[in-house]
Amino acid sequence: MKQSFVFSGSGGQGIMSAGIMLAHAAIDMGKHATFLPEYGPEQRGGSAKCTVIISDDEIISPLTKKCDNLVVLNSIAYNKFADTVKEGGRLIANSSLIPTDISRDGIKSIAVPVDNIALEVGSLKVANVVIIGVLIGATGVVSKEVFVKSLEEKFKAKKPEILEMNMKALEKGIAFGKA
Amino acid sequence: MEKRFMKGCEAIAEAAVRGGCRFFAGYPITPQNEIPEYLSWRLPEVGGSFVQGESEVASINMVYGAAATGTRALTSSSGPGISLKAEGISYLASAQLPAVIVNISRGGPGLGSIQPAQSDYLQATKALGHGGFRTMVFAPATLQEAVDLTYNAWEYAERDRNPVLILMDGCLGAIMEEVELPEMKELTYKNTESWDISKRNGREESHMITPILPEAMLEKLNAYKGMTYKMWEKNDVKVEEYLLDDAEYVVVAYGIAARVAKEAINTLREEGCKVGMIRPITLYPFPKASLDKLDYTAVKGIIDIEMTIPAQMRDDIELQVKGRCPVYEYGRSGGILLDDEGVYEAISAIVKGGNQ
Repeated sequence: MKQSFVFSGSGGQGIMSAGIMLAHAAIDMGKHATFLPEYGPEQRGGSAKCTVIISDDEIISPLTKKCDNLVVLNSIAYNKFADTVKEGGRLIANSSLIPTDISRDGIKSIAVPVDNIALEVGSLKVANVVIIGVLIGATGVVSKEVFVKSLEEKFKAKKPEILEMNMKALEKGIAFGKA
Repeated sequence: MEKRFMKGCEAIAEAAVRGGCRFFAGYPITPQNEIPEYLSWRLPEVGGSFVQGESEVASINMVYGAAATGTRALTSSSGPGISLKAEGISYLASAQLPAVIVNISRGGPGLGSIQPAQSDYLQATKALGHGGFRTMVFAPATLQEAVDLTYNAWEYAERDRNPVLILMDGCLGAIMEEVELPEMKELTYKNTESWDISKRNGREESHMITPILPEAMLEKLNAYKGMTYKMWEKNDVKVEEYLLDDAEYVVVAYGIAARVAKEAINTLREEGCKVGMIRPITLYPFPKASLDKLDYTAVKGIIDIEMTIPAQMRDDIELQVKGRCPVYEYGRSGGILLDDEGVYEAISAIVKGGNQ
Protein backbone atom coordinates (compact mmCIF):
# COMPACT_ATOMS: atom_id res chain seq x y z
CA MET A 1 0.00 0.00 0.00
CA LYS A 2 1.16 3.49 -0.88
CA GLN A 3 0.08 6.61 0.98
CA SER A 4 0.96 10.24 0.37
CA PHE A 5 1.14 12.98 2.95
CA VAL A 6 1.52 16.69 2.26
CA PHE A 7 2.35 19.12 5.06
CA SER A 8 2.02 22.81 4.38
CA GLY A 9 2.22 26.05 6.31
CA SER A 10 4.79 28.73 6.87
CA GLY A 11 8.47 28.50 7.70
CA GLY A 12 8.94 27.99 11.44
CA GLN A 13 5.81 25.89 11.99
CA GLY A 14 7.80 22.67 11.96
CA ILE A 15 6.55 21.50 8.57
CA MET A 16 9.86 20.01 7.45
CA SER A 17 10.63 18.26 10.72
CA ALA A 18 7.10 16.82 10.83
CA GLY A 19 7.67 15.28 7.40
CA ILE A 20 11.11 13.96 8.28
CA MET A 21 9.89 12.51 11.59
CA LEU A 22 7.02 10.69 9.85
CA ALA A 23 9.29 9.34 7.09
CA HIS A 24 11.86 8.17 9.65
CA ALA A 25 9.23 6.36 11.69
CA ALA A 26 7.99 4.61 8.52
CA ILE A 27 11.52 3.46 7.71
CA ASP A 28 11.96 2.26 11.29
CA MET A 29 8.93 0.08 10.64
CA GLY A 30 10.60 -1.46 7.60
CA LYS A 31 8.57 0.53 5.04
CA HIS A 32 9.88 2.65 2.17
CA ALA A 33 9.64 6.44 2.39
CA THR A 34 10.56 9.55 0.44
CA PHE A 35 10.58 13.11 1.76
CA LEU A 36 10.55 16.06 -0.62
CA PRO A 37 10.78 19.61 0.78
CA GLU A 38 9.70 22.70 -1.17
CA TYR A 39 10.31 26.22 0.05
CA GLY A 40 11.16 29.65 -1.24
CA PRO A 41 14.27 31.80 -0.88
CA GLU A 42 13.09 33.43 2.38
CA GLN A 43 15.31 32.98 5.44
CA ARG A 44 12.30 33.15 7.76
CA GLY A 45 8.59 32.69 7.18
CA GLY A 46 7.54 32.22 3.59
CA SER A 47 5.59 29.19 2.53
CA ALA A 48 6.84 25.74 3.40
CA LYS A 49 5.61 22.45 2.01
CA CYS A 50 6.80 18.90 2.07
CA THR A 51 5.58 15.66 0.56
CA VAL A 52 6.09 12.31 2.23
CA ILE A 53 5.30 9.07 0.42
CA ILE A 54 5.17 5.89 2.47
CA SER A 55 4.84 2.50 0.84
CA ASP A 56 5.32 -1.20 1.47
CA ASP A 57 6.98 -1.44 -1.95
CA GLU A 58 9.79 0.55 -3.50
CA ILE A 59 8.62 4.07 -4.35
CA ILE A 60 8.77 4.92 -8.03
CA SER A 61 7.56 8.52 -8.28
CA PRO A 62 7.93 10.87 -5.34
CA LEU A 63 5.98 13.68 -7.05
CA THR A 64 2.23 13.80 -6.64
CA LYS A 65 -0.22 16.66 -6.98
CA LYS A 66 -3.16 14.94 -5.30
CA CYS A 67 -2.49 13.42 -1.90
CA ASP A 68 -4.19 11.00 0.47
CA ASN A 69 -3.55 13.14 3.54
CA LEU A 70 -3.15 16.91 3.58
CA VAL A 71 -2.10 18.83 6.65
CA VAL A 72 -2.49 22.62 6.46
CA LEU A 73 -1.25 24.76 9.30
CA ASN A 74 -2.33 28.22 8.14
CA SER A 75 -4.94 29.89 5.92
CA ILE A 76 -2.56 30.52 3.03
CA ALA A 77 -1.75 26.81 2.82
CA TYR A 78 -5.42 25.94 3.22
CA ASN A 79 -6.48 28.20 0.35
CA LYS A 80 -3.68 26.96 -1.87
CA PHE A 81 -3.89 23.21 -1.32
CA ALA A 82 -7.29 22.27 0.14
CA ASP A 83 -8.50 21.02 -3.25
CA THR A 84 -5.56 18.66 -3.75
CA VAL A 85 -6.90 15.90 -1.49
CA LYS A 86 -7.83 12.69 -3.31
CA GLU A 87 -11.38 11.37 -3.16
CA GLY A 88 -11.72 9.52 0.13
CA GLY A 89 -8.64 11.24 1.56
CA ARG A 90 -8.17 13.37 4.65
CA LEU A 91 -7.83 17.09 5.19
CA ILE A 92 -6.36 18.00 8.55
CA ALA A 93 -6.46 21.72 9.29
CA ASN A 94 -5.07 23.78 12.14
CA SER A 95 -8.29 25.38 13.38
CA SER A 96 -6.31 27.69 15.67
CA LEU A 97 -5.30 29.63 12.56
CA ILE A 98 -7.91 28.51 10.02
CA PRO A 99 -11.26 29.55 11.50
CA THR A 100 -13.33 28.62 8.42
CA ASP A 101 -15.60 25.63 7.86
CA ILE A 102 -13.30 23.13 6.20
CA SER A 103 -15.81 20.40 5.38
CA ARG A 104 -15.83 19.16 1.78
CA ASP A 105 -17.64 16.49 -0.18
CA GLY A 106 -15.91 13.17 -0.67
CA ILE A 107 -13.11 13.66 1.85
CA LYS A 108 -12.79 13.47 5.60
CA SER A 109 -12.13 16.84 7.22
CA ILE A 110 -10.51 16.98 10.61
CA ALA A 111 -10.22 20.38 12.32
CA VAL A 112 -7.64 20.34 15.08
CA PRO A 113 -6.73 23.36 17.22
CA VAL A 114 -3.05 22.45 16.81
CA ASP A 115 -1.56 25.67 18.17
CA ASN A 116 -3.90 25.76 21.18
CA ILE A 117 -3.05 22.16 22.06
CA ALA A 118 0.66 22.80 21.67
CA LEU A 119 0.51 25.88 23.90
CA GLU A 120 -1.58 23.99 26.42
CA VAL A 121 1.03 21.26 26.81
CA GLY A 122 3.83 23.80 26.98
CA SER A 123 5.15 25.19 23.70
CA LEU A 124 4.24 25.99 20.10
CA LYS A 125 7.33 24.00 19.16
CA VAL A 126 5.47 20.73 19.69
CA ALA A 127 2.73 21.65 17.18
CA ASN A 128 4.18 19.27 14.64
CA VAL A 129 4.15 16.38 17.10
CA VAL A 130 0.43 17.06 17.69
CA ILE A 131 0.01 16.69 13.92
CA ILE A 132 1.93 13.41 13.81
CA GLY A 133 -0.32 12.24 16.63
CA VAL A 134 -3.41 13.10 14.58
CA LEU A 135 -2.00 11.18 11.61
CA ILE A 136 -1.15 8.15 13.75
CA GLY A 137 -4.63 8.22 15.24
CA ALA A 138 -6.41 8.69 11.92
CA THR A 139 -4.33 6.54 9.56
CA GLY A 140 -2.24 4.15 11.62
CA VAL A 141 0.47 4.57 8.95
CA VAL A 142 3.12 4.29 11.63
CA SER A 143 2.65 2.79 15.07
CA LYS A 144 2.62 4.87 18.20
CA GLU A 145 5.28 2.64 19.78
CA VAL A 146 7.77 3.17 16.96
CA PHE A 147 7.23 6.92 16.99
CA VAL A 148 7.57 7.11 20.77
CA LYS A 149 10.87 5.26 20.46
CA SER A 150 12.14 7.78 17.93
CA LEU A 151 11.03 10.66 20.17
CA GLU A 152 12.92 9.11 23.09
CA GLU A 153 15.99 8.75 20.91
CA LYS A 154 15.70 12.31 19.63
CA PHE A 155 15.32 13.95 23.03
CA LYS A 156 17.44 11.67 25.20
CA ALA A 157 20.18 14.27 25.53
CA LYS A 158 17.71 16.98 26.55
CA LYS A 159 15.85 17.69 29.77
CA PRO A 160 13.19 15.04 30.59
CA GLU A 161 10.51 17.76 30.58
CA ILE A 162 10.98 18.21 26.85
CA LEU A 163 10.30 14.57 26.09
CA GLU A 164 7.32 14.65 28.44
CA MET A 165 5.90 17.68 26.64
CA ASN A 166 6.27 15.92 23.28
CA MET A 167 4.60 12.79 24.63
CA LYS A 168 1.64 14.82 25.86
CA ALA A 169 1.36 16.53 22.47
CA LEU A 170 1.43 13.14 20.75
CA GLU A 171 -1.30 11.68 22.99
CA LYS A 172 -3.59 14.67 22.44
CA GLY A 173 -3.04 14.46 18.69
CA ILE A 174 -3.79 10.73 18.62
CA ALA A 175 -7.03 11.32 20.52
CA PHE A 176 -8.10 13.90 17.91
CA GLY A 177 -7.14 11.61 15.06
CA LYS A 178 -9.15 8.71 16.42
CA ALA A 179 -12.24 10.84 17.12
CA MET B 1 26.40 -2.33 3.39
CA GLU B 2 25.31 0.60 5.43
CA LYS B 3 21.77 1.97 4.90
CA ARG B 4 20.89 5.56 5.64
CA PHE B 5 17.92 7.87 5.09
CA MET B 6 19.68 10.76 3.38
CA LYS B 7 19.10 13.92 1.40
CA GLY B 8 20.24 13.71 -2.24
CA CYS B 9 22.98 16.33 -1.96
CA GLU B 10 24.37 14.75 1.21
CA ALA B 11 24.18 11.26 -0.25
CA ILE B 12 26.29 12.18 -3.27
CA ALA B 13 28.71 14.13 -1.07
CA GLU B 14 29.24 11.04 1.08
CA ALA B 15 29.48 8.84 -2.03
CA ALA B 16 32.14 11.19 -3.40
CA VAL B 17 34.20 10.89 -0.21
CA ARG B 18 33.88 7.10 -0.27
CA GLY B 19 34.79 7.13 -3.96
CA GLY B 20 38.07 8.87 -3.15
CA CYS B 21 37.27 12.58 -3.38
CA ARG B 22 39.77 14.45 -1.22
CA PHE B 23 39.34 18.00 -2.50
CA PHE B 24 36.31 20.19 -2.98
CA ALA B 25 36.07 23.83 -3.99
CA GLY B 26 32.80 25.57 -4.71
CA TYR B 27 30.72 28.67 -4.29
CA PRO B 28 27.22 28.66 -2.75
CA ILE B 29 24.08 28.45 -4.88
CA THR B 30 20.66 26.90 -4.24
CA PRO B 31 19.71 24.04 -4.58
CA GLN B 32 23.11 22.39 -4.07
CA ASN B 33 24.36 24.06 -0.87
CA GLU B 34 24.03 20.88 1.14
CA ILE B 35 26.91 19.38 -0.88
CA PRO B 36 29.53 21.95 0.25
CA GLU B 37 27.93 22.17 3.70
CA TYR B 38 28.36 18.41 4.15
CA LEU B 39 31.86 18.27 2.69
CA SER B 40 33.02 21.22 4.80
CA TRP B 41 33.09 18.92 7.84
CA ARG B 42 33.32 15.54 6.15
CA LEU B 43 36.43 16.07 4.02
CA PRO B 44 38.65 17.14 6.94
CA GLU B 45 37.62 13.91 8.71
CA VAL B 46 39.31 11.85 6.00
CA GLY B 47 42.33 14.11 5.54
CA GLY B 48 40.83 15.94 2.58
CA SER B 49 40.49 19.65 1.94
CA PHE B 50 37.40 21.79 1.60
CA VAL B 51 37.57 25.30 0.20
CA GLN B 52 34.75 27.76 -0.24
CA GLY B 53 36.16 29.71 -3.11
CA GLU B 54 35.65 33.43 -3.61
CA SER B 55 33.78 32.68 -6.82
CA GLU B 56 32.81 29.89 -9.20
CA VAL B 57 35.71 30.78 -11.47
CA ALA B 58 38.20 30.53 -8.61
CA SER B 59 36.67 27.24 -7.45
CA ILE B 60 36.88 25.43 -10.78
CA ASN B 61 40.48 26.56 -11.16
CA MET B 62 41.27 25.25 -7.67
CA VAL B 63 39.82 21.93 -8.83
CA TYR B 64 42.17 22.13 -11.81
CA GLY B 65 45.08 22.62 -9.43
CA ALA B 66 44.05 19.78 -7.14
CA ALA B 67 43.47 17.41 -10.07
CA ALA B 68 46.95 18.22 -11.39
CA THR B 69 48.40 16.81 -8.18
CA GLY B 70 46.63 13.48 -8.66
CA THR B 71 43.98 14.29 -6.06
CA ARG B 72 40.41 13.26 -6.74
CA ALA B 73 38.73 16.66 -6.95
CA LEU B 74 35.09 17.74 -7.04
CA THR B 75 33.09 20.89 -7.55
CA SER B 76 29.35 21.35 -7.53
CA SER B 77 26.99 24.09 -8.52
CA SER B 78 23.68 24.78 -10.21
CA GLY B 79 22.96 26.15 -13.71
CA PRO B 80 24.14 29.78 -13.34
CA GLY B 81 27.24 28.66 -11.44
CA ILE B 82 28.05 25.93 -13.98
CA SER B 83 27.97 28.63 -16.69
CA LEU B 84 30.57 30.57 -14.71
CA LYS B 85 32.72 27.46 -14.41
CA ALA B 86 32.50 26.78 -18.14
CA GLU B 87 35.89 28.27 -18.94
CA GLY B 88 37.63 26.23 -16.26
CA ILE B 89 35.91 23.03 -17.33
CA SER B 90 37.13 23.60 -20.88
CA TYR B 91 40.66 24.09 -19.53
CA LEU B 92 40.38 20.83 -17.58
CA ALA B 93 39.43 19.08 -20.82
CA SER B 94 42.31 20.79 -22.61
CA ALA B 95 44.85 19.83 -19.93
CA GLN B 96 43.38 16.31 -19.90
CA LEU B 97 42.77 16.43 -16.18
CA PRO B 98 40.26 14.19 -14.40
CA ALA B 99 37.70 15.85 -12.15
CA VAL B 100 34.05 15.47 -11.27
CA ILE B 101 31.51 18.26 -11.60
CA VAL B 102 27.99 18.07 -10.15
CA ASN B 103 25.13 20.20 -11.47
CA ILE B 104 22.00 20.20 -9.30
CA SER B 105 19.93 22.00 -11.89
CA ARG B 106 17.22 24.61 -11.42
CA GLY B 107 14.96 26.73 -13.61
CA GLY B 108 16.57 28.92 -16.27
CA PRO B 109 17.71 30.80 -18.28
CA GLY B 110 19.61 33.50 -16.42
CA LEU B 111 19.13 33.48 -12.68
CA GLY B 112 15.96 31.52 -13.44
CA SER B 113 14.43 30.15 -10.28
CA ILE B 114 15.79 28.29 -7.29
CA GLN B 115 13.23 25.52 -7.80
CA PRO B 116 14.10 22.27 -9.59
CA ALA B 117 14.13 21.96 -13.39
CA GLN B 118 15.88 19.83 -16.00
CA SER B 119 16.89 22.90 -17.92
CA ASP B 120 20.58 22.16 -18.45
CA TYR B 121 20.47 19.12 -20.76
CA LEU B 122 21.82 20.98 -23.76
CA GLN B 123 24.58 22.69 -21.77
CA ALA B 124 25.56 19.38 -20.19
CA THR B 125 25.61 17.25 -23.32
CA LYS B 126 26.62 19.66 -26.09
CA ALA B 127 28.81 22.43 -24.72
CA LEU B 128 29.83 22.44 -21.08
CA GLY B 129 32.42 25.00 -22.18
CA HIS B 130 33.92 26.41 -25.36
CA GLY B 131 36.11 24.61 -27.82
CA GLY B 132 34.11 21.54 -28.78
CA PHE B 133 34.92 19.01 -26.08
CA ARG B 134 32.57 16.48 -24.47
CA THR B 135 32.29 14.96 -21.02
CA MET B 136 30.48 11.86 -19.91
CA VAL B 137 27.17 12.97 -18.37
CA PHE B 138 25.55 10.75 -15.74
CA ALA B 139 21.89 11.38 -14.94
CA PRO B 140 20.71 9.29 -11.98
CA ALA B 141 16.98 8.85 -11.25
CA THR B 142 17.15 7.59 -7.68
CA LEU B 143 19.47 8.47 -4.82
CA GLN B 144 20.86 4.96 -4.85
CA GLU B 145 21.81 5.36 -8.48
CA ALA B 146 23.25 8.81 -7.71
CA VAL B 147 25.40 7.29 -4.97
CA ASP B 148 26.63 4.46 -7.20
CA LEU B 149 27.43 6.75 -10.16
CA THR B 150 29.19 9.34 -8.02
CA TYR B 151 31.18 6.64 -6.23
CA ASN B 152 32.61 5.44 -9.54
CA ALA B 153 32.79 8.76 -11.41
CA TRP B 154 36.53 9.23 -10.86
CA GLU B 155 37.26 5.83 -12.39
CA TYR B 156 35.90 7.16 -15.68
CA ALA B 157 37.49 10.59 -15.26
CA GLU B 158 40.93 9.08 -14.63
CA ARG B 159 40.62 6.40 -17.29
CA ASP B 160 39.86 9.04 -19.91
CA ARG B 161 41.77 11.94 -18.29
CA ASN B 162 38.66 14.03 -18.80
CA PRO B 163 36.10 15.73 -16.55
CA VAL B 164 32.87 13.86 -15.76
CA LEU B 165 29.54 15.60 -15.15
CA ILE B 166 26.79 14.38 -12.85
CA LEU B 167 23.49 16.05 -13.72
CA MET B 168 20.68 15.95 -11.20
CA ASP B 169 17.78 18.33 -10.80
CA GLY B 170 16.93 20.15 -7.57
CA CYS B 171 14.28 17.53 -6.68
CA LEU B 172 16.86 14.77 -6.49
CA GLY B 173 19.18 17.12 -4.61
CA ALA B 174 16.57 17.86 -1.94
CA ILE B 175 14.68 14.60 -1.67
CA MET B 176 15.38 12.17 1.16
CA GLU B 177 15.43 8.44 0.47
CA GLU B 178 17.08 5.40 1.90
CA VAL B 179 20.46 4.60 0.34
CA GLU B 180 23.04 1.89 0.75
CA LEU B 181 26.47 3.40 1.06
CA PRO B 182 29.43 1.55 -0.43
CA GLU B 183 32.70 0.93 1.42
CA MET B 184 35.39 3.60 1.52
CA LYS B 185 37.65 3.11 -1.50
CA GLU B 186 41.28 2.28 -0.92
CA LEU B 187 43.25 5.00 -2.72
CA THR B 188 46.38 3.84 -4.47
CA TYR B 189 47.28 6.77 -6.73
CA LYS B 190 48.94 4.14 -8.91
CA ASN B 191 47.98 5.27 -12.35
CA THR B 192 48.15 9.00 -11.90
CA GLU B 193 51.73 9.48 -13.16
CA SER B 194 50.73 10.82 -16.54
CA TRP B 195 49.03 13.90 -15.10
CA ASP B 196 50.22 14.13 -11.50
CA ILE B 197 52.82 16.92 -11.44
CA SER B 198 53.89 15.98 -7.91
CA LYS B 199 55.27 12.74 -9.36
CA ARG B 200 57.55 14.49 -11.80
CA ASN B 201 60.55 14.34 -9.50
CA GLY B 202 63.71 15.09 -11.29
CA ARG B 203 61.90 16.56 -14.23
CA GLU B 204 62.24 20.21 -14.94
CA GLU B 205 58.64 20.96 -15.72
CA SER B 206 56.46 20.49 -12.68
CA HIS B 207 53.52 22.37 -14.01
CA MET B 208 50.38 21.68 -15.99
CA ILE B 209 49.56 24.61 -18.19
CA THR B 210 47.46 24.82 -21.30
CA PRO B 211 49.35 27.09 -23.65
CA ILE B 212 48.37 28.04 -27.17
CA LEU B 213 49.31 24.80 -28.88
CA PRO B 214 50.87 24.49 -32.31
CA GLU B 215 48.06 23.81 -34.79
CA ALA B 216 49.13 20.26 -35.59
CA MET B 217 49.40 19.32 -31.93
CA LEU B 218 45.97 20.78 -31.15
CA GLU B 219 44.45 18.94 -34.07
CA LYS B 220 45.98 15.73 -32.72
CA LEU B 221 44.46 16.42 -29.30
CA ASN B 222 41.06 17.06 -30.91
CA ALA B 223 41.26 13.84 -32.90
CA TYR B 224 42.36 11.87 -29.85
CA LYS B 225 39.41 13.20 -27.87
CA GLY B 226 37.13 12.37 -30.78
CA MET B 227 38.33 8.78 -30.58
CA THR B 228 37.65 8.74 -26.85
CA TYR B 229 34.05 9.85 -27.43
CA LYS B 230 33.63 7.05 -29.99
CA MET B 231 34.87 4.55 -27.39
CA TRP B 232 32.31 5.87 -24.89
CA GLU B 233 29.54 5.27 -27.43
CA LYS B 234 30.77 1.73 -27.90
CA ASN B 235 31.47 0.76 -24.30
CA ASP B 236 29.99 3.11 -21.75
CA VAL B 237 26.34 3.74 -22.62
CA LYS B 238 24.10 3.14 -19.62
CA VAL B 239 20.37 2.91 -20.20
CA GLU B 240 17.28 1.38 -18.64
CA GLU B 241 14.85 -0.18 -21.11
CA TYR B 242 11.43 -0.72 -19.56
CA LEU B 243 8.61 -2.79 -21.07
CA LEU B 244 9.75 -2.26 -24.65
CA ASP B 245 9.00 -5.71 -26.08
CA ASP B 246 5.41 -5.04 -27.10
CA ALA B 247 5.42 -1.25 -26.74
CA GLU B 248 3.34 0.83 -29.15
CA TYR B 249 4.39 4.06 -27.48
CA VAL B 250 7.82 4.66 -25.98
CA VAL B 251 8.49 7.35 -23.39
CA VAL B 252 12.01 8.75 -23.29
CA ALA B 253 12.82 10.44 -19.99
CA TYR B 254 15.77 10.79 -17.62
CA GLY B 255 16.27 11.57 -13.94
CA ILE B 256 13.26 12.61 -11.90
CA ALA B 257 11.05 12.84 -15.02
CA ALA B 258 11.65 9.14 -15.69
CA ARG B 259 10.40 8.21 -12.24
CA VAL B 260 7.18 10.16 -12.68
CA ALA B 261 6.77 8.69 -16.17
CA LYS B 262 7.32 5.14 -14.93
CA GLU B 263 4.52 5.54 -12.40
CA ALA B 264 2.20 6.70 -15.21
CA ILE B 265 3.34 3.84 -17.47
CA ASN B 266 2.50 1.30 -14.77
CA THR B 267 -1.00 2.75 -14.46
CA LEU B 268 -1.46 2.79 -18.25
CA ARG B 269 -0.29 -0.83 -18.50
CA GLU B 270 -2.99 -1.79 -15.99
CA GLU B 271 -5.45 -0.14 -18.37
CA GLY B 272 -4.12 -2.23 -21.25
CA CYS B 273 -2.08 0.49 -22.98
CA LYS B 274 1.21 -0.80 -24.42
CA VAL B 275 3.62 1.87 -23.22
CA GLY B 276 7.31 1.38 -22.47
CA MET B 277 10.24 3.59 -21.61
CA ILE B 278 13.84 4.27 -22.53
CA ARG B 279 15.67 5.96 -19.68
CA PRO B 280 19.11 7.29 -20.56
CA ILE B 281 21.41 7.01 -17.54
CA THR B 282 24.31 8.41 -19.54
CA LEU B 283 22.98 11.47 -21.37
CA TYR B 284 26.33 11.53 -23.14
CA PRO B 285 27.08 9.04 -24.60
CA PHE B 286 23.39 9.04 -25.54
CA PRO B 287 21.77 5.58 -25.82
CA LYS B 288 21.32 5.86 -29.59
CA ALA B 289 20.96 2.14 -30.21
CA SER B 290 18.03 1.77 -27.81
CA LEU B 291 16.04 4.19 -29.95
CA ASP B 292 17.40 3.12 -33.33
CA LYS B 293 16.66 -0.58 -32.86
CA LEU B 294 12.98 -0.13 -31.90
CA ASP B 295 10.52 -1.95 -34.15
CA TYR B 296 8.96 1.00 -35.93
CA THR B 297 6.33 -1.18 -37.56
CA ALA B 298 4.90 -1.56 -34.04
CA VAL B 299 5.88 1.73 -32.40
CA LYS B 300 3.34 4.45 -33.10
CA GLY B 301 4.99 7.31 -31.24
CA ILE B 302 7.84 8.45 -29.03
CA ILE B 303 7.02 10.69 -26.07
CA ASP B 304 9.79 12.89 -24.69
CA ILE B 305 9.04 13.89 -21.09
CA GLU B 306 11.26 16.45 -19.41
CA MET B 307 10.95 18.94 -16.57
CA THR B 308 11.73 21.79 -18.93
CA ILE B 309 9.97 23.58 -21.79
CA PRO B 310 10.71 23.18 -24.64
CA ALA B 311 12.09 19.64 -24.41
CA GLN B 312 15.88 19.67 -24.90
CA MET B 313 16.57 15.98 -25.46
CA ARG B 314 14.21 15.94 -28.45
CA ASP B 315 16.93 16.61 -31.04
CA ASP B 316 18.93 13.59 -29.86
CA ILE B 317 15.79 11.47 -29.98
CA GLU B 318 14.76 12.63 -33.46
CA LEU B 319 18.24 11.88 -34.83
CA GLN B 320 17.64 8.21 -33.99
CA VAL B 321 13.95 8.02 -34.84
CA LYS B 322 14.74 9.39 -38.32
CA GLY B 323 11.12 10.24 -39.03
CA ARG B 324 9.96 6.66 -38.58
CA CYS B 325 7.20 7.72 -36.18
CA PRO B 326 5.93 10.97 -34.63
CA VAL B 327 7.79 12.42 -31.63
CA TYR B 328 5.66 14.13 -28.96
CA GLU B 329 6.79 16.08 -25.92
CA TYR B 330 5.40 17.03 -22.53
CA GLY B 331 6.98 19.00 -19.74
CA ARG B 332 6.69 21.51 -16.94
CA SER B 333 9.17 24.27 -16.47
CA GLY B 334 10.33 27.32 -14.56
CA GLY B 335 10.52 25.47 -11.26
CA ILE B 336 7.03 23.94 -11.51
CA LEU B 337 7.43 20.23 -10.88
CA LEU B 338 6.13 17.39 -12.99
CA ASP B 339 3.54 15.36 -11.11
CA ASP B 340 1.93 11.93 -11.42
CA GLU B 341 -1.45 13.30 -12.49
CA GLY B 342 -0.15 15.66 -15.19
CA VAL B 343 2.25 13.12 -16.73
CA TYR B 344 -0.39 10.40 -16.73
CA GLU B 345 -2.87 12.69 -18.47
CA ALA B 346 -0.31 13.81 -21.05
CA ILE B 347 0.76 10.27 -21.99
CA SER B 348 -2.82 9.07 -21.86
CA ALA B 349 -4.00 11.80 -24.26
CA ILE B 350 -1.34 10.80 -26.78
CA VAL B 351 -1.75 7.04 -26.41
CA LYS B 352 -5.53 6.96 -26.30
CA GLY B 353 -6.29 9.86 -28.56
CA GLY B 354 -3.27 10.35 -30.80
CA ASN B 355 -3.30 13.84 -29.38
CA GLN B 356 -0.19 16.04 -29.21
